Amino acid sequence: MKAKGFTRRNALKLLGAAAATPLTAPFLNLAHAQGATIPIGVALPMTGNAGAYGPDMGEAAKRTAERINKAGGILGGRKLELFIEDSESSASVAANLSQKFINVHRCQSLVGYWGTPEGMASRPIAIQNKVVLMVSSAANAITEGGSDGYVWRFQMKATDWGIVISRATEKLGFKSFGVMGLQNAFVLPIMRVFEERMTAGGRKVMDSLVYNPEQPSYRAEVERIFGKKPEAVYCFGLLPDFVSIIREVYRGGFDSKVVALSIMADAEGKFVQAVGPQVAEGIRHFQPMPDVSAPGYKRFLQLMGAPADRVLLFPPNTHDQIAMTALAMEKAKSPMAVDWSKQMIPVGNGPGEAVDDVLAGLEQLRSGKSINFQGAGSICDFTPNGDQLGRGMGQWIIKGGKQVFVEYARP
Amino acid sequence: MIEFIVLMGIVVCFSGILALALNFQWGLGGMVNFGLAGFYALGAYSCALLMLKGGFNTFFAALGAMVIVGAVCGLVAFVTLRVTEEDYFAIVTLGVGEMLRLVALNEDWLTKGALGLTGIPRPLGATIPPTSYPYFMLALSIALVIACLWALNRLSRSPFGRVVRAVREDDVVAATLGKNVLWARVRIFAIGGVLIGLAGSLHAFYYQYIDPTQFSTIVIAYAFMAVIAGGRGAHLGTVLGAAVVMLLLEGSRFAKELVPLEADQLAAVRIIIIGVGLILLLIYRPHGFLREYRLQATLKEERPEPQPNTPKEAAT
Amino acid sequence: MLQTAFNGLVTGIIVALPALAVTLLFGVLKFANFAVGAMMTVAAYMVYALNTELDWPMLPATVAAAVAFGFMCILMDLVTFKPLRERGGLTLMVASLGLGFVLENVARLAYGNAARSYAMDLARPFRFMDIRMNREQMIAFVVATLAMAVMYVLLTRMPIGRAMRAVADNPALAQVRGIDSAAIIRWTWFIAGMLLAVGGVLIGMDRAIEPPMGASYLIPVFAAAILGGLGSPLGAFVGALLIGIVSEMATLVIPPNYRIGIPLLVIAAILIFRPQGLFGQAHIRR
Repeated sequence: MKAKGFTRRNALKLLGAAAATPLTAPFLNLAHAQGATIPIGVALPMTGNAGAYGPDMGEAAKRTAERINKAGGILGGRKLELFIEDSESSASVAANLSQKFINVHRCQSLVGYWGTPEGMASRPIAIQNKVVLMVSSAANAITEGGSDGYVWRFQMKATDWGIVISRATEKLGFKSFGVMGLQNAFVLPIMRVFEERMTAGGRKVMDSLVYNPEQPSYRAEVERIFGKKPEAVYCFGLLPDFVSIIREVYRGGFDSKVVALSIMADAEGKFVQAVGPQVAEGIRHFQPMPDVSAPGYKRFLQLMGAPADRVLLFPPNTHDQIAMTALAMEKAKSPMAVDWSKQMIPVGNGPGEAVDDVLAGLEQLRSGKSINFQGAGSICDFTPNGDQLGRGMGQWIIKGGKQVFVEYARP
Repeated sequence: MIEFIVLMGIVVCFSGILALALNFQWGLGGMVNFGLAGFYALGAYSCALLMLKGGFNTFFAALGAMVIVGAVCGLVAFVTLRVTEEDYFAIVTLGVGEMLRLVALNEDWLTKGALGLTGIPRPLGATIPPTSYPYFMLALSIALVIACLWALNRLSRSPFGRVVRAVREDDVVAATLGKNVLWARVRIFAIGGVLIGLAGSLHAFYYQYIDPTQFSTIVIAYAFMAVIAGGRGAHLGTVLGAAVVMLLLEGSRFAKELVPLEADQLAAVRIIIIGVGLILLLIYRPHGFLREYRLQATLKEERPEPQPNTPKEAAT
Repeated sequence: MLQTAFNGLVTGIIVALPALAVTLLFGVLKFANFAVGAMMTVAAYMVYALNTELDWPMLPATVAAAVAFGFMCILMDLVTFKPLRERGGLTLMVASLGLGFVLENVARLAYGNAARSYAMDLARPFRFMDIRMNREQMIAFVVATLAMAVMYVLLTRMPIGRAMRAVADNPALAQVRGIDSAAIIRWTWFIAGMLLAVGGVLIGMDRAIEPPMGASYLIPVFAAAILGGLGSPLGAFVGALLIGIVSEMATLVIPPNYRIGIPLLVIAAILIFRPQGLFGQAHIRR
């Protein structure tokens, strides 16, 4: 019987062709291969349990880069070239992406990295290859243990979240609590700090539990925590589980006040859209957020084409990451991270003229002046170990289907 | 660029070993392992914990992981296969896999839960300089793949291999011939488990950081795809299948620039293509791509085993 | 505690319909269909589209989607499973795994990752004998019980049901007796598709609608079908209720984040002590 179809030879040919694809792809883009553009790797969760947050961050990065490029780019007319990829909310995918950004696209700046595992896996890769990694994740571990100035956090540390929320809670005067948390790297430190401080302050944590993502139902968890009738239940997790939980709470007729995080209870409008105004009524939520009164944030809203009252939680961070990359490179007059990573603090903290527009900042730097960049997501001041200073948390409450701002507080 | 290819080569190697395990359990042994991701996690976590908490060196930690996963697989097979319903087996493995992942996620006193385990040592990591390490690891991984292929081939051609194939083709006949079917199946599944443990260990060495998100359900889609593409039962084919799948996956990331879809839509489309590819391969290319190679092997394997004429032969 | 038992009943009733679909498909088609989770997801999204984009009320939306989905299942069978029919249960299972991935990601492609809900008002609960119940749960009970009753009549009293059972018992003999097994298979898929669609809607009403919603039910659904005895519709119903109740009650003693282990323990126990399940027929096995 003569073998038809795929013979071994054909299979090897197919293999060779497939192998050639990644090899030829860089040459499809000659400008990049010749070094005329500045490549930046952007790893964001587009799928997986954080998949709801990625697309908007990607959009912010794109628009920021476009704006800089339209105004002439950096380092004598070189344009920024973004490589936006899906990290699939997975550490191993993010690690592979980081390797690809560094080794194939020759990126010296890796930005995005919303989830803690993605950042944790990419950290050693960035440090070893001497490229800058800018994350948007909260877990403390990201900046622990020295990073030679290559890892920068564009977010509030998880333990600080717990501190701010606890203080605000003391002001609100709740006496008894239930606490529910999602099994997630950034949630658990927040929960722990919160419970410790509440207990230390003499208040009663009646019960506390952790739940898994993508459970078929959260009925038992709600029954257990809310059934004890605490005055308030603090819920830390993500949007999908929170929608299920709140529906369960409402249908169960429980009266405890619900306090959550904005990535769950707002998620840029998706929460109220999903559960309806009546069910969402009275839910209070916290989130490290940009200072919405800052001019940098307002300018960013315009860039995104968003209404003036919209609170965008994460996209401003991606904007700042791109902006800081451009500014630090311009100041160092070099696209290599070994050079410009040292300029992160000078550009972000100053001393220098305070600017909130990246284009103005670039101009200032080109004429030899120093700046102190105030970003869209924060004032972009850093500690030597890479944490961001000056971030605050907003507190909101949902009334009549609308997000009503309560106050802005710092740790 | 070269460094990236080397790194992807390493990933292909341990993905290939994982696919080999699935191929052995399913392609040869006829046992579907839907819990592959969970056992893979067990292998990676065992290896990492043996090093981080047990102080073992990389060699013994990997060995330990292989033993642990092999033993767990054997146990699962033993408990489940008392009733030889293949459909039940699949759901049980799915469940066990889920439980393993739940434990990894929730028992943070052991596994650090969602935060994951960092700073995992790698073989000879202290002696080989970081710039040349990827090349060393690639060489090591390729050597391990070859070792696995050799071992599996030896097994396939051994008397045990004949029993395996007999059991897969018709377990009633095999039983009447005096083969202990249950025990053969347990061993098959356990051997697959040993390979999964090895793949998990390599995974831990490569990324040096493991957390539950790395072991999601999609792992199993890729593994099945690799096995089917390579031709079920054909070991070398499986490894090549894994390479093809990996290259297609990474290659499709480059396609992003050519296709006008949002990143999250593209990610969904990639998985759709994997699923459709799986089904198409099953329908049109059940023997995989290495047709010519496989055809000969098929003819040889599907020829009925010569009936034992003498009591001596029957005793094998 | 009574409340917990009732909550378990609610969970169980939601599991009942897909468990019934699984057991029907297994009985007639002889394989375990792992795409049922994703099938429920797709159907739930179809109802979501009708409900929120075309503003249909839930009942007509569900009915329309169920019928449409029944036809879609026939189509999926034609394209995916029919070519593999001769290859045996294992291959069909793996194909169903692939199909599940495709369906879940089609939903994701169309609607993204964000969680959604149907456009129906949630209601506060009322109390009955010291147990909290609410309107949605009542709807779920009524719908599921109705579906079960219809299925029971269908399978025992009507010719189509008898034919399905004949094909399930012995396809060759059924063919000899003049039963068109191709038609029966289409009917089976149509009915299973409708059951899965309604099951998907009940899940969507119970929790958030998002792409992984159906897959999270795979283990309880299969546990219910196996507990009841694969191939026995009554078994699927009873098995589902039992799984639901036991899972919820177990949270009184074990941490709730491990309650997925309960269906698994049930499966293990069944396999060891009574492999044919509660109502299945004992096979003669070595």
